[in-house]
Amino acid sequence: MLLHILNRSPLSSLVYRQAIATMGTEDRLLLIEDGVQGALPTLVRHFEALEGRLFALREDLVARGLAGKCDASVQVVDVDGFVELTEEAERTVSWY
Amino acid sequence: MRYAILLLGGPYSAQAAHSALRFARAVLARGHRLEGVFFYHDGVQNAARLMAPPQDEPHLVDGWVGLNAEQGVPLMVCIAAALRRGLMDEREATRHGKQGHSVEAPFELTGLGQLVDLGLGCDRLVTFGP
Repeated sequence: MLLHILNRSPLSSLVYRQAIATMGTEDRLLLIEDGVQGALPTLVRHFEALEGRLFALREDLVARGLAGKCDASVQVVDVDGFVELTEEAERTVSWY
Repeated sequence: MRYAILLLGGPYSAQAAHSALRFARAVLARGHRLEGVFFYHDGVQNAARLMAPPQDEPHLVDGWVGLNAEQGVPLMVCIAAALRRGLMDEREATRHGKQGHSVEAPFELTGLGQLVDLGLGCDRLVTFGP
């Protein structure tokens, strides 16, 4: 299982499509920086293929005033949880 | 576990450096080893000795130096990416006939081979792009 890390909003970059197309069936995706916009209910449909495997970084949500506004399907983790996700994955892949 | 970080984003123009520093601190707080931070592409600007951000903003150089001072984390800067951006230590400044220098210890100018070694010698290499 690999952890993919995406820092771009689906509104500003299509790189998320490459990430999703590359991901294995067990792989997870963590949204960080502007990428956390993808966790909003209006944008989360772009990631519907990843049900249960989509995460968003709490600190970056808070910095953008988006805390508590994520879609219920997204698992919110803090930076400690970010490290934990990297522990559980064999490797990480960053998309930017 | 042994971790390493590859930072490609410049300071204060992308969030990458702030994300990487926050991640580095969290890695250490969880009891892991951080084998090194490799600064590459615009990420080399994080080693600018004369960086002087406003006092109410995070000081990135101080942040990296703190990691080195407290936990002995090596701070490796790609020499080829650094030189073409005007970042050089005293030795390179002398070699290129330049007055003054813009990189100093604990940052060290190294080659890409060091990045390969870092990647091979750790359990997790995490990249922070611009």
